[in-house]
Amino acid sequence: MANLIFQLFKGLNFSVRIFFLTLLFSLPFGFVVAKGRMSKIAPVRWITDLYIQIMRGTPLILQLLFFYFAPFYIFHASYDRFFAVILAYVLNYSAYFAEIYRSGLQSMDKGQYEASQVLGFTKAYTFFHVILPQVFKKILPSVGNEVVTLVKDTSLASTLGIAELFRVAQTSSSRVFSTTPIFVAGVFYFIMNYLVAKFFDVVERKLDYYE
Amino acid sequence: MNDIMINAKNIMKSFGSTEVLKDISFTLEKGHVLSIIGPSGSGKSTLLRILTQLETADAGSLELVGKPLFTNVDGKAVYENIAQRRELNLKTGLVFQNFNLFPHFSVLRNITEAQRAVLKRDKDEAEAKAMDLLKKMNLADKAKSYPCELSGGQKQRVSIARALAMDPEILFFDEPTSALDPELTLEVLKVIRGLAEEKMTMVVVTHEMNFAKGSSDEALFMDGGVIVEKGNPTELFDNPKEERLRRFLNTFNA
Repeated sequence: MANLIFQLFKGLNFSVRIFFLTLLFSLPFGFVVAKGRMSKIAPVRWITDLYIQIMRGTPLILQLLFFYFAPFYIFHASYDRFFAVILAYVLNYSAYFAEIYRSGLQSMDKGQYEASQVLGFTKAYTFFHVILPQVFKKILPSVGNEVVTLVKDTSLASTLGIAELFRVAQTSSSRVFSTTPIFVAGVFYFIMNYLVAKFFDVVERKLDYYE
Repeated sequence: MNDIMINAKNIMKSFGSTEVLKDISFTLEKGHVLSIIGPSGSGKSTLLRILTQLETADAGSLELVGKPLFTNVDGKAVYENIAQRRELNLKTGLVFQNFNLFPHFSVLRNITEAQRAVLKRDKDEAEAKAMDLLKKMNLADKAKSYPCELSGGQKQRVSIARALAMDPEILFFDEPTSALDPELTLEVLKVIRGLAEEKMTMVVVTHEMNFAKGSSDEALFMDGGVIVEKGNPTELFDNPKEERLRRFLNTFNA
């Protein structure tokens, strides 16, 4: 059992890396996508919309395979498997975050922009000091949802043979002819998401001081 | 002192094919209060939004505080450069119907934020100014509250303080009491009357006929995008010359 836990922790290391790297890039990139989706230039809007539709409309597992094998078949080039995994997750999650950001930005009362303009705030000041803090509060629950999903989605990286938590559990499961490792891995995922949920709870409560 | 604070000539504005303002001209002297009355959709708010640069005019000319904001060139409103527009933006303040306070800032910070970010006042100066205004609005004890903790009347008084903190030379009000209960309306109107006594130049779009009649120096009745009648408020209310104004005023006596 001690050995199993040790193995699972090694797998967890990969899962956690996928998790944080995905968030690190997709949270900001999602904003760029959201801006593209709301662009005044129609072709930019169309292309971003198509990108979002594809990312949301096809299975992540398929996207993982695509980002790993497509470069090989098209350019006869191959690259690091882990890189392909991160690329797929970032592009997928950016699309979801983009839609959350967009809904948050579009739900802002235009009176907030007008009051800022009348008071003489610049556009940038208005965005960073008036709009963004309010949007942040609004979208926090939706972002929390996505982050919880991401924790579970990291298990899909096993498709490309990344030795993350789920893969490790599966391998040791077949080695010892028992489902215990998979069950224990489930407990790991649950604990991670418990921590994620608590984290979002705390942030939400910190922002409770206004409506 | 007979400074002309607003000089509007032949202002036109259309949204698509709908003419919202047709040939609006009027002037306002320093220290005077002008009430704009009229039915919904008459163009009052659009006019106010052009005066405060939230909308752009299609044609006509406008001088605020003696400086042009836009001039009529070949039937089109040509705006001044951005520096001039900004300067005039800072000389005008606007109080909205639905307050538009910043919900994530305390009452105090609602009033200090623009002083600091736009006028570059230091923290102490901005806060001292804000506290003075809050005292004047009878809200000193609410400095640390958030807008969601205030009543509508209190919110509107905070938003008046927020506008005044920028030391505007002309203050505009867009139906400042339309979102308020009758008793809250009175406390806001009292504040506006107080400002009138201090000779603040103000333009108030309002449905409060008693205020328009009793507390303004001039009144202007708009309907269908034109100024139907303007003049001394007592005269306007007691002796309306135009049939449309008579009918409009009658709807309030029903």
